[in-house]
Amino acid sequence: MSSRLRHARSIAGAAAVLAAALAIPATVAAQEVVLGASVQLTGPVANTGRYYRDAYQIAIDKINAAGGAKIGGQSHKLALKLYDNQSDVNLSVRQYTQLVSQDKVTLLLGPFASNFALADSAVSEKYKVPMVQGGGASDQIFSRNFKYIFGTLAPASNYFASTIDMLKALKPKPASVALLYADDAFDVSVADGTRPKLKEAGLTSAMDERYSTNATDFNSLLSQVKSKNVDAVLVAGHETEILNFVRQAKSLGVAPKMYSFTVGVPSEDFRKALGKDADYAFGMTAWLPSTSLKDRWFGDAEKFAAEYKARFGYDPDYHAASGVADVETLVQAMEDASSTDPQKVRDALAKVKFDSLYGPIAFNAHGQIDLPQVVIQVQNGKLAEVYGAKGIVTQPQYPMPAWSAR
Amino acid sequence: MSAPPAQRADAPQTPDKPQAPDKPPTWRRVAAIVVFAALAAVPWLGSDVLVQFGINALLLAVLAQAWNVIGGYAGYASFGNSVFYGLGAYGVGIAMVQWHLPFAVGLALGAAIAVVFALTLGWAVLRLRGHYFAIATLGVAQVMAAIVSNVELAGRNVGLVLPPLNDDRLFYWLALALLAAATLSVAWLTRSRFGFGLIAIRENEEGAAVMGVHTTLYKALAFAIAAFFSALAGGIHAYWITFLDPESAFDISLNVRMIIMAVFGGPGTVLGPIVGALSLSAISELLSSEVTNIAGLFFGVVVVAAVVLMPRGLADAVRGVRLHGWGYFARNVKAHRL
Amino acid sequence: MDLLAQVVANGVLLGGLYAVMALGLALVWGVLNIVNLAHGAFIMLGGYAAWHLYRLAGIDPFAGLPIVAIVMFAAGYAIQRGLLNLVVRAPMFNTLLITFGLEVVFTYCAQLAFSADFRTINPPYAGSNVALGPVTLPVARLAAFAVALALTVGMWLFLLHTRLGRAIRATAQNLVAARLYGVAPRHLYAVTFGLGVALAGMSGALYGTVSQVNPYIGATLTAKSFAISIIGGLDSPLGVIVGGLFLGIVESLTTLYVGPTYADVASFGILVLVLIVRPSGLLGRTA
Repeated sequence: MSSRLRHARSIAGAAAVLAAALAIPATVAAQEVVLGASVQLTGPVANTGRYYRDAYQIAIDKINAAGGAKIGGQSHKLALKLYDNQSDVNLSVRQYTQLVSQDKVTLLLGPFASNFALADSAVSEKYKVPMVQGGGASDQIFSRNFKYIFGTLAPASNYFASTIDMLKALKPKPASVALLYADDAFDVSVADGTRPKLKEAGLTSAMDERYSTNATDFNSLLSQVKSKNVDAVLVAGHETEILNFVRQAKSLGVAPKMYSFTVGVPSEDFRKALGKDADYAFGMTAWLPSTSLKDRWFGDAEKFAAEYKARFGYDPDYHAASGVADVETLVQAMEDASSTDPQKVRDALAKVKFDSLYGPIAFNAHGQIDLPQVVIQVQNGKLAEVYGAKGIVTQPQYPMPAWSAR
Repeated sequence: MSAPPAQRADAPQTPDKPQAPDKPPTWRRVAAIVVFAALAAVPWLGSDVLVQFGINALLLAVLAQAWNVIGGYAGYASFGNSVFYGLGAYGVGIAMVQWHLPFAVGLALGAAIAVVFALTLGWAVLRLRGHYFAIATLGVAQVMAAIVSNVELAGRNVGLVLPPLNDDRLFYWLALALLAAATLSVAWLTRSRFGFGLIAIRENEEGAAVMGVHTTLYKALAFAIAAFFSALAGGIHAYWITFLDPESAFDISLNVRMIIMAVFGGPGTVLGPIVGALSLSAISELLSSEVTNIAGLFFGVVVVAAVVLMPRGLADAVRGVRLHGWGYFARNVKAHRL
Repeated sequence: MDLLAQVVANGVLLGGLYAVMALGLALVWGVLNIVNLAHGAFIMLGGYAAWHLYRLAGIDPFAGLPIVAIVMFAAGYAIQRGLLNLVVRAPMFNTLLITFGLEVVFTYCAQLAFSADFRTINPPYAGSNVALGPVTLPVARLAAFAVALALTVGMWLFLLHTRLGRAIRATAQNLVAARLYGVAPRHLYAVTFGLGVALAGMSGALYGTVSQVNPYIGATLTAKSFAISIIGGLDSPLGVIVGGLFLGIVESLTTLYVGPTYADVASFGILVLVLIVRPSGLLGRTA
């Protein structure tokens, strides 16, 4: 008897849960354009994920303050529906599905990181709702012939292009180059794109090593760099890895003539964590808060940076600018199409062309933006724009002195 | 359905026919069929989100059920079943992406690799007991993930992108069918000599060996059965998500989750893992969508509380509360505290 | 040849750090038979404690080790006494599950309290090094290595030659007999776990000077600590040093000769091999 009831209760319990799940109501107000996103707010990459949350929010608030999006003669306010995917790709996919099919958001904004964008773009393609993401640069995302995914991060394969141009211009030209890269989608893309460029530039490759994502120990690699006397070291990795790399380089006394990193250098907390050890490090960014980048809502990039810092307490970097650009792009596309219909917005996105605080926005046939990377360097604790499209802007500090001589 | 069964299951039987310990009364079987039908109807009645949640929860239930065979019945708590899940996923991935074979072939390939791996690994690892077995299986899962991230054919650490198939309903019914198959296997197990042998191994392995149970063979078979179902679950999941890489395919946290679900529902029972998996998944999903920041935190608290207050699972707790009231929880603590 | 010497030296120093990390886990596991999946989380918390001491009070991480130890000991004592003692006599994997739950809770609380930003502990000597022939030895790692040795020897002496240490071992070997001799097992278990957590916390402080601390470092460090404990053997603190050194050198050499992405294959592969061939570890007595 008791076993029957025991199982009855278990089954009833499960059924009750199912019923509750079926009953979750959709939550959308009419006349409002809701932008949905699933972002890493907790979990290992949360410290970059928050740039997107804050960027989306500040952009939406700014646009609303100016009257919202003017679609077909009517003003529409924007709203943000944000979920935390806890740095879990599978959860992110389910949350995007929920945003589209249950919460019935109008359009989608993207997550951070290439592997997330890769998986989540399958959702936007399935439901034919455009997603503009500013967090994934891997070429893989845009090679599936998907029509509903657009990206505002410059292609991964191009990241070191301007750096290599700069290397050619340095005196003395580096005799050997080491390419170290993590084995995730983004960094592998970077390395694949960098190798041919090194060859074209006539630079000798002394080391070409793939390391595990999230590695914490670079001592062996650094010892090899030292023993081979490599002049230039290019590292494609994530912030925590690069942080460890620099610290361990110092503690092993490894000081090549220059080193350049795909991420980290533009971020304030990265430079803060390293303090003076961050000096001489090269990096790249597709964005700098300069007054020459004019924006319809924020005025220009410098004003945006100030507003962002005042509101959130930390400096924005290109992640944040990219996130803001995503929101502005969607608004611009809706206005161009005079509609919030996903299909029409998608077509407008394919043709969109305007200037924003992030730079000129336009997508190629695969949906990816093309922006050149500017080479930057940490000079005396501050970020300096060193090499851009027109050549040297500020003189790079080269070669890097030995650690003991700093 | 409301008519009383013609013969009660616990009516006395003739002494030379030993009664199966878990022969379900007709009432229970009917209830199970009703629930199964309800689950099968979800793709027609429920929202897209519910179907997606359902696929995820059902696959987790399969994993919990598969673990149940080696952990719940045989008493060998494996912390590395994710290795079979991942092998199944990569079987499908490599077959479809690199060799352009159909999904069914990929599934078969993944399951075959997993079973062979279980049998060879089992020979080495099933000699260990308790903690050591658990750690060994966990170590194997880590090694496999590390190895696969270096294999060119598997796409190294970047992974593989599968051709998309936009048919959630199909995946849902596949997952449900797989769960039914796994559950029926476990049900068969409880009434077969093989199952008795496993339980004997769990309760007293030396005694079982002395009584003539082929302990090595039985353990290896249990491991292989767990591997089989775990691999199929992994294959379905890979095709559904259209993307796999070593971290998500050999997700180490899956191990603990499947164990918690099986233990929460009641290990060594037929329906326990299903109840545990569905209820815990539901709780976790509701929290993830409504209270985004502390979802994971809450999950951890639930786990801690469950282990302290109801270590024998939800089913046992429900019965215990019925019999002893809320004192049931205090009793559990008293029985296990130092 | 110089490169090889440097890489081996790297491995030895890395091994020292690994050994400190594993010491607490091995103690609790070997003595109390409690498998602590939250071990890495305690390392993480110790790292944050040391970071706060350094940031807010300017206390050098090495000098601050005793403070970190006391704070973490108190926390560990409370957790064992208040929570883990409740499940000690339950089936084995209940402690695995409950410590897993604790790991999740600690990680999320750390994320809420400290945010996901990474923290580094950067005392002035953190980047300096000494030269030993052709080999460069980072000062911070060298100091961590020395601390590891000191703690290991200290732990070994404690367990063998002090009254409290002997009481702990007695309780672990035979609970009933120990009770008959007037030992208070709940208190002793809590003391032992507290010691284990204190060791974990100290290793976290050291880890923060050579790497960086964020809420999510726990899981990998737990896995590494497991590997070291098993490989070295749970019977003696000396086994942990051997296990740590072995693993550190193997990882360094694998990175050099095979490739950096194979380090994990090597460490966990050896773990599995040891379990299959000699479960008591390199230094453990065969049962």
